[in-house]
Amino acid sequence: MAVPSEDADLVRSAVAGDDEAFAELVRRHKGTALRIASRFARDHAELEDLGQETFLRIYRDLRTFRGDAPFVHWMSRIATHVCYDALRKRRREEKTVSLEILSAPVADPSTGNASSARQARLILERAMSRLKPEERLVITLFELEDRSVREVADLTGWSENLVKVRAFRARQALKRIIGGDDER
Amino acid sequence: MNDKRQDRRDAELDRLLDLARRDSPDISVVERNFETRVMARIREGREPWYAWAWRLVPVFLTLTALLVGWILFFPSTGSEDPGTMIASGIQEVALVDYLTGE
Repeated sequence: MAVPSEDADLVRSAVAGDDEAFAELVRRHKGTALRIASRFARDHAELEDLGQETFLRIYRDLRTFRGDAPFVHWMSRIATHVCYDALRKRRREEKTVSLEILSAPVADPSTGNASSARQARLILERAMSRLKPEERLVITLFELEDRSVREVADLTGWSENLVKVRAFRARQALKRIIGGDDER
Repeated sequence: MNDKRQDRRDAELDRLLDLARRDSPDISVVERNFETRVMARIREGREPWYAWAWRLVPVFLTLTALLVGWILFFPSTGSEDPGTMIASGIQEVALVDYLTGE
């Protein structure tokens, strides 16, 4: 079977019932979707779940894709919403998480090599697990993914002002947590 | 004093964020054959409810065999027949009514 080259063509074929066309879309964009989810997943199993949930939602809503923006933008928005939903669900489950996750021993990440980068990510993950879901989402997209305010607004569906306010509050909260004087 | 502490915390957070930005989580394990698993989930969700019915056939066959076995090995007696039991109950009530003069 000749595979259409454009994403929009693949979407049209998938909507018409061509499974191979949808599989090709997944093949093309799984990297982007998984990279977004990887900043929120705690392990590979959760990453797999978030990735699959993203593409199941895409498949379900494929008819609503209008094609006026690139498919990857539309897909990234869905992936972000899936991750946000997961954070909110996790927050409900983790109400009782103890404070000891932050006091676990971590090495000084000031050396600047790969392992210190990993160490820094672990420290931040521990700290960010105590943020509100919207704070964690915005700090991840804005600070870790290095996206602009406009991009974050586009991905989350929030206004640019709301993104700025939430990013500021998230940063303040994160500083308090890392400084050890957070009362959450 | 307070400002200095704030500045120190800002710098510390920026350093952590800067380092963490360089460490992209490994997705290669999940990426492998990911589309195959997604398509399997989609096909699974698409199955109508009756597509599962054939999976219950062994259960129904076992229940039927047990029931047949029960009937063959423990044939019912007349007194266990529900119709007889109801009829004898009515006769009993009629007899009591007769004896008590009601």
